[in-house]
Amino acid sequence: MDIDDILRDVDPVIHTIPREKRDLQDLTRAWVAERSAPELLHWPSDGLFERINNSIRRQIEKVEEMTGDMDPKTNFALIVIQTELERFKYLVRSYLRARIAKIDRHTLHYLSSDELRSRLSEMELAYATRHQALLHNHYLSSFLSSFPPGLQNLNDTAGNISMIDTPDLESAVFIRLLRDTLVEGRGVDSDGRLEMEESDIVILRWADAKPLVQLGNAELV
Amino acid sequence: MPMYGDLGNKLVQHAKRTQILPHLPPYQTELVRTVTREVRDLHRDVDSLLEPFQGSFDPAADPASACTLLVNHLSMRRNKRCLLAYHRTRTEKLEVLVWNGSDVLDLSAQQAGGANGVPGANDGGTSSLSPQEEDYVRQYGDLLAAYKGQWTDVDLTGSLEPARDLFIDVRVLKDAGEIQTEYGAINLTKNSQFYVRQGDVERLIAQGYLQKLG
Amino acid sequence: MSYYDVDSILTDAEKIPCTFQFDIPDLGYLENNPGQTLKTGARVGLPLWLAEMLAIANTGGIGPDDQGKSFVAFDLPPALGNDVMQALKADPRAIPIRDQSAHFYSLATHMMDLSDEPELGTVLRKTFVTRAGEIALHARKAGGGGSSKGGASEEGSNLGVGGAGEEFLRGLDEWERKLFRKAHDGARAGKEWMEGVKKF
Repeated sequence: MDIDDILRDVDPVIHTIPREKRDLQDLTRAWVAERSAPELLHWPSDGLFERINNSIRRQIEKVEEMTGDMDPKTNFALIVIQTELERFKYLVRSYLRARIAKIDRHTLHYLSSDELRSRLSEMELAYATRHQALLHNHYLSSFLSSFPPGLQNLNDTAGNISMIDTPDLESAVFIRLLRDTLVEGRGVDSDGRLEMEESDIVILRWADAKPLVQLGNAELV
Repeated sequence: MPMYGDLGNKLVQHAKRTQILPHLPPYQTELVRTVTREVRDLHRDVDSLLEPFQGSFDPAADPASACTLLVNHLSMRRNKRCLLAYHRTRTEKLEVLVWNGSDVLDLSAQQAGGANGVPGANDGGTSSLSPQEEDYVRQYGDLLAAYKGQWTDVDLTGSLEPARDLFIDVRVLKDAGEIQTEYGAINLTKNSQFYVRQGDVERLIAQGYLQKLG
Repeated sequence: MSYYDVDSILTDAEKIPCTFQFDIPDLGYLENNPGQTLKTGARVGLPLWLAEMLAIANTGGIGPDDQGKSFVAFDLPPALGNDVMQALKADPRAIPIRDQSAHFYSLATHMMDLSDEPELGTVLRKTFVTRAGEIALHARKAGGGGSSKGGASEEGSNLGVGGAGEEFLRGLDEWERKLFRKAHDGARAGKEWMEGVKKF
């Protein structure tokens, strides 16, 4: 069950919205969520970005066709399309950059299990793997290769501190409820439980918010 | 007398400074070499301490040796952490420069040449990067180019400021004749509305010919 | 805590007063006596990364006196000592905690993990909350600075740059400095946003 299914329940109109428009909504939602969540979220597996990439390409071609036309009406349409195109490109760029920043900060963590690896797109996985290899190689050639063999690893988790840095899942996020739900959050001194209503906005720890978001009861804002 | 780990700490202080500085300070070749050597010395000490026991060392029977071994192990691990943090801080800075499209290798050569009053003060190097860092910059540049290449239409390294203000709706209050824009001429007749690039009409708004809507 | 985090590594370099509980022949250098035995009862300031592990490591001692004994016993560092705590109780804002340690809170939370000091926690929490409020005030002042049209209500504040305000900001530890920067950027972004809204 994903957010679309829920929205369809709530609002059957959305089902009839044309695909391109729905893709833009999905992209916007993914962008907001990715920028709020302290950890990397799943890459959309429904081909969203393939479709968006194609749509961007089509618009660019359209712009190129129209640029030769000197009719003022065409020029006006051109401005509209170009603005729309800039907005599309900005969303994709900002979304991808937010993800790369998270991947770069905790590369080994995201490469450490199949579950975590599955959150990355194929291109991101290739990038992360290669980036980590470059870093390891850089450390080796700068100093690490003259260390005793037992000390050359970059992924030791023994000792009092793990070498694999992980994102802080306890940091705060804002969520908007998509349906009436019981919200439970852990505090410093005491924990809180609250019956909340659709469209209420709450701030709480990501670790507490995550199950609500995954069940589709809430979305990140 | 300096103890094990003190020099490693110096490296991390350099790293802290590196985070704040706008440019990349010179690579601490000598310090890195010394801290690395310290790790090898410590490891040799551990080996020679353990040698008489022939692999059957019992820490409970000899707490004094166990303590020495622990101190040596911890010092090695500490140095390793300091060295890694120092190098990671620098590569992070280099990666930012690569993303920004700076010619890092050229830039660093200029910096070292200009900023250093005394020629040859830094082991005669002309760059603030170590040779390994120069390699890293090249390789990371290739990696980034490959990743960007999959998103050519989006221009991944482009602006991260939303293009919100680029175009605005305007209503024409007084006939203003024809203006030239990047998209061709627009004829501004009274009461017509246009969606235009803000930069093209800012002056006309100020002069009262156009009114911004929205 | 993060392996590559520079501030975390620098915190671990803070010296902790330790007392050795064994004679250790090879560690005389820690006391500036290389080649000499480090005697039981010797007091040495050791960096946290070393003190911590020597204090919690299981020595596995089998002698009648050695059981359950760790290599070293440690005390709270002077930065968290009684004098500082008393002064913080009196007025958290009056102490430049940076002079105690540039990583004051980080050191304190680390030490609280290692030892059972309930009062330390209480004092530090009050210190943090009081100082954080003060930091937010300064940040808003600095962030909203410049054109202060309509900000007349703040004119009477004595938080201006210079004087007491400057001295307070100088005394912030690393963590508080980060907080200040965030609050400052937040205040500025908020102001820019408000001005953006006014334009429409």
